[in-house]
Amino acid sequence: MLFFSYFKDLVGREVTVELKNDLAIRGTLHSVDQYLNIKLENTRVVDQDKYPHMLSVRNCFIRGSVVRYVQLPPEGVDVELLHDATRREARGG
Amino acid sequence: MAAAEEESAVKEPLDLIRLSLDERIYVKLRSDRELRGKLHAYDQHLNMILGDVEEIVTTVEIDDETYEEIVRTTRRTVPFLFVRGDGVILVSPPLRTA
Amino acid sequence: MSDGPGLESLVDQTISVITNDGRNIVGILKGFDQATNIILDESHERVYSTKEGVQQLVLGLYIIRGDNISVVGELDEDLDSNLDLKNLRAHPLKPVIH
Repeated sequence: MLFFSYFKDLVGREVTVELKNDLAIRGTLHSVDQYLNIKLENTRVVDQDKYPHMLSVRNCFIRGSVVRYVQLPPEGVDVELLHDATRREARGG
Repeated sequence: MAAAEEESAVKEPLDLIRLSLDERIYVKLRSDRELRGKLHAYDQHLNMILGDVEEIVTTVEIDDETYEEIVRTTRRTVPFLFVRGDGVILVSPPLRTA
Repeated sequence: MSDGPGLESLVDQTISVITNDGRNIVGILKGFDQATNIILDESHERVYSTKEGVQQLVLGLYIIRGDNISVVGELDEDLDSNLDLKNLRAHPLKPVIH
C-alpha cells in the first residue's frame, strides 16, 4: 500500500518510467492502481530516434510488471514522510 | 525502552533493511545492474525509493574480429529513483565500522 | 479503489500495444478485463526493421493475454497519419526480461 499511496499523491507530476525492455517514457502521471500499473499523459519516449515505435502515442497505460524504475521529481519526494510511512508499513500497519 | 528494543531487533531479513533506512545501500539487480543510493522507502516486495543514486550497468560485447569479450560499464546518477522489487537480487546494508 | 486497468475511455478507439516479446500491434480496442487481457479488432502488426521501412501484417481479431502486454497506447490518428512508415527504420523493440 505504501507505494500505491505514494504514487497516488504524485499524480500530476512529470515522471520518467523505465521499462524492462529498456524503453524510457516520460510523461505526466495520470493515475496508478494497486498493481502499480501506471497511466501517463503527454508522453514522449526519451530516445525517439532509437525508439520511434510510439511516435503517435500521447497517452498510455504501462503494466506495472514491466516497470524497472520510475525517475521521481525531487519536489515530489518528502524524505521524512517516506521514512515514517516505511516504518509504519514495516510494523504491519 | 521496550519500544527501542523492538526497533533495533533483527528477527527477519527485512528488519536488517529497516535498519538501513536513511543510509546508503548497495542493490544488485537483474540484467547486470547495480545501484548505490540512500534508502528512503521500501515495502515487503523490496520495492524501494533511493536518493542520490548511482547506477552501473555492465554489458558484454563480442569483438567482431578477435571474438574477444569486451566488458563495458556505463554509469549515471539519478536524484530519486523508484525501483521495482521484482528485479532485486540482493541488498547490502552500509558497512558499519567502529 | 478502482478495479482493473481503467481502459474504458479507449474502447472503440485505435490503440497501439507493445507486447513483452517486443511486437507492436495496432487495432481497435473492443474489450478488456482486470488482468489487462484485451480484445483487438481489425488489428495489424507493425514490423520494424533497419533494412526496410515498417511492414504492416494483417492479423484481424486478436485476444492478447494481459501477462504479455507491456504498454497500451492511445493512438493519435492525426499524428499517426503524418508518420512516414514506409521510410521509418528502427531496430525491433527488445523483449522484456523479467
